[in-house]
Amino acid sequence: MATSTTFLDTNELVLNMGPQHPSTHGVLRVILKLDGEKVMGADCVIGYLHRGVEKIAENRTYQQFAPYVDRMDYVAAVSNGLGYCLAVETLGGIEVPERAQCVRVILTELNRIASHLLWLGTHALDIGAMTPVFYCFREREEVLKIFEKYCGARLTTHAFRIGGLQYETYDTFEKDCHAFCDWFEKKVDEYEELLTTNRIWVGRTKGVGILDAEACKTYGVTGPVLRAAGVEWDLRKAQPYCGYEKYDFDIPTCANGDTYDRYIVRMQEFRQSVRIIRQAVDSLPEGPIKGRVSKVFKPPIGEAYESIEAPKGELGYYVVSDGSTQPYRLRVRPPSFVNLQALDEMCRGCLVADVVAIIGTIDIVLGEVDR
Amino acid sequence: MEEILDNPYLQPIIATLLIVAVFPLVAGYMVLAERKVLADLQVRLGPMRVGPYGFLQPLADAFKLMLKEDIIPAASDKWIFWGAPVLSTFTALTAFAVIPFSDKFYVADVNIGILFILAMSSLGILGLILGGWSSNSKYSLLGALRSAAQMVSYEVPLGFTTVTALMVAETLSMQGIVQSQLDKGVWIAFSNYGLMLVPAVVFIIAAVAETNRAPFDLPEAESEIVAGFHTEYSGFRWALFFLAEYASIFVICGIAVTVFFGGWLRPFANVGFLETPLNVAFPILLFVVIGAGCALGAVRVTLAYEKAIMGVLALAMFLVAGLFAIPMINELIIGFFWFLFKVLIFIYVFIWVRGTFPRFRYDQLMQVGWKYLIPISMGGLIVNGIVLLFTS
Amino acid sequence: MKELLKAVFLVDLIKGLAVTFRNQKPSLIYTEQYPKERPLVAERYRGAPRLNVHPDTDETLCIACNLCALACPEQLIVVGAERNKETRRKELTTFTYDVSRCMFCGLCEDACPVDALELTQDFELASYTREGAIWDRQMLEEGPLPTEYKH
Repeated sequence: MATSTTFLDTNELVLNMGPQHPSTHGVLRVILKLDGEKVMGADCVIGYLHRGVEKIAENRTYQQFAPYVDRMDYVAAVSNGLGYCLAVETLGGIEVPERAQCVRVILTELNRIASHLLWLGTHALDIGAMTPVFYCFREREEVLKIFEKYCGARLTTHAFRIGGLQYETYDTFEKDCHAFCDWFEKKVDEYEELLTTNRIWVGRTKGVGILDAEACKTYGVTGPVLRAAGVEWDLRKAQPYCGYEKYDFDIPTCANGDTYDRYIVRMQEFRQSVRIIRQAVDSLPEGPIKGRVSKVFKPPIGEAYESIEAPKGELGYYVVSDGSTQPYRLRVRPPSFVNLQALDEMCRGCLVADVVAIIGTIDIVLGEVDR
Repeated sequence: MEEILDNPYLQPIIATLLIVAVFPLVAGYMVLAERKVLADLQVRLGPMRVGPYGFLQPLADAFKLMLKEDIIPAASDKWIFWGAPVLSTFTALTAFAVIPFSDKFYVADVNIGILFILAMSSLGILGLILGGWSSNSKYSLLGALRSAAQMVSYEVPLGFTTVTALMVAETLSMQGIVQSQLDKGVWIAFSNYGLMLVPAVVFIIAAVAETNRAPFDLPEAESEIVAGFHTEYSGFRWALFFLAEYASIFVICGIAVTVFFGGWLRPFANVGFLETPLNVAFPILLFVVIGAGCALGAVRVTLAYEKAIMGVLALAMFLVAGLFAIPMINELIIGFFWFLFKVLIFIYVFIWVRGTFPRFRYDQLMQVGWKYLIPISMGGLIVNGIVLLFTS
Repeated sequence: MKELLKAVFLVDLIKGLAVTFRNQKPSLIYTEQYPKERPLVAERYRGAPRLNVHPDTDETLCIACNLCALACPEQLIVVGAERNKETRRKELTTFTYDVSRCMFCGLCEDACPVDALELTQDFELASYTREGAIWDRQMLEEGPLPTEYKH
């Protein structure tokens, strides 16, 4: 193109966004090729938070590794713990008591709310709305307080153990959950008032970062991003675990697969999670909280894969046992890592400001991407 | 002595020195007010650690900024990098020259006052562009280009709406504009059968954009281009940009108040029986309430020096309230009081808007400017012109 | 028509402004003034480790069984013991706990058969040196003594 007839030789501007950038949600580095402010391509450079979690697993006993999974997706630590425990329980053929399953459902749904709240706050902040983040953190704090009262930690909870639970619920657990649900539903209405109809918000999110159902399936994208593209796929319904089949809830979907639809899907998921929590708390059965697991846990030789619907998408754990106390190999299928692949496709042709919105809308946690 | 007192330059020089000396402090406290109001909107407390209720925070900030290492990027254009914040601050402070703080207190009453302010505020943009360009950083460059485009598009509706108001006021002098509102007995925003309200609203929206405030803060959108044009600035140079920004906010709020909302006039300036309640009772009540608040704060804080500061503040507030009770002094300062009161309301609205809305995207910003604000302001100009033609 | 009027009068924006305005009520402020007001952590909080002593005799409850050291994923607990010749029982001599590597997972506390090792409600664990984060038996029995700021 650059011939002698052109007076001005135009080049692509390469902009290095991150790893120290306010809105790459941690240490993601994106190399943007820009034409003016238009994005021609986006390359992700990952690995700044790599800690070799999968390798650590090979040097720990099954019980010892449980706290490490919390540190992958640290905003949804409970979901991570659940996925790992389910995989190991399948491997060892352990029966989990009803009560433990029910408490697990309550805590994972609370954690889904906490994770989505963090997403909403930071996503809104990326788009320039300063206030929702503080409201979201206030609500998240209430969830964390329930976690703290239940298991003694707020973020990296280590709430579940292989075979069930370590801690019995505390005295006011049911009351706290109900109080939170009632209070939180009003707060969701408030967020919707603040953002859903706001013309700036709609303008910033509608038609931005479209990923249709076909592309989602090609990339293996799961979670709210997939559901926003109109695919009704939720592992809680598709292959129920932990007794999710007992609860009555809907899978919110949208049609266009743009940033606004993903926002709507997650806002609906807040309400669905509240529904599940209410049902689970009301139907909390009595009984033991831990199945029979020997202190020196040696699963039989074999392998197991279990996946759950984490807040960010399908979270799978693949565990191979050689009959010893330590896993022979452990592999994680992190939703953030898989979903992040679609960034380039979503970014092409949009503006720099949209890249920020799109990174926010995929809802990645770098701890999970890099592991 | 007589000679000096009669010198026509005496009052302007004193006023200028006063503004230049006092405004940096005022800007510091504007920042504190902004942080406090934003915190309040966001269920937080804001700065609380320096002084009672964070009252000394601006001083601590200024001190820190002065002590910071002075960094000039190696690849920058040094002289321009050095000069850009100076230019910004200089133009922003110069615009104060024609702002009518009250009927007595102003630097100059130029017969083209409003033109002067518009010229100065557009010149201020040059500082941002130069600063962004000379930093030789990609984020700064993007920020600078954004600010250039934004200013070009938003000066136009700003100009159109101002012209509409000037048509009603029939003068360009800032004092004259206020005087005409006194003569007509109605603020320009509510004149012309309420039709002037449209240009007033457009003016405020364009003013938010002109001062690079959220939701139009694209030149410094921190989530996209880090800090925009001042990414590479630190220390006192950065503080100068900040000073310029707050000065231009004050100026643009001052224009809005003068041109559309009656300047230093009290509300219902021509309704005689409101004179005492609004001009005497209201300020006294206001300052007594603030003073009582400070006194309550003095009781609440624990440390001795914090108690002293709050106590002195409370006393000062009661003293000011007392001053308003003296008719002679009241007459001197009441115009100033109303002007500041209105400006503060506008600044509050600016902060409130910042705390609520998401940021526009670059192309949407252009759309709002060219597709909505300019046609509306032009329409407002034409309609108001026709109405004026047939009523006068 | 209604939609158009709503758009012209900026109803959506005013709704948002109303939300933030409502939240200005001083009673809604959520901030804790941390060094001034100390937060109340939950009863089960997993904070600084403590080696419990018998409240009456001041003797340690630890039986030096080494289970905590085995349970720890980070292997940061070292238990030193000596067999008492007379009673033929193992007695605790030293106990080191590296707080700097601890992730407060609670596995040691779960493993302890006599409730000697416990994670407590203390959460202020800062120290000026790296060595300061390695706690010996005395420190574990006394617990941390954080500076309390008065203002």
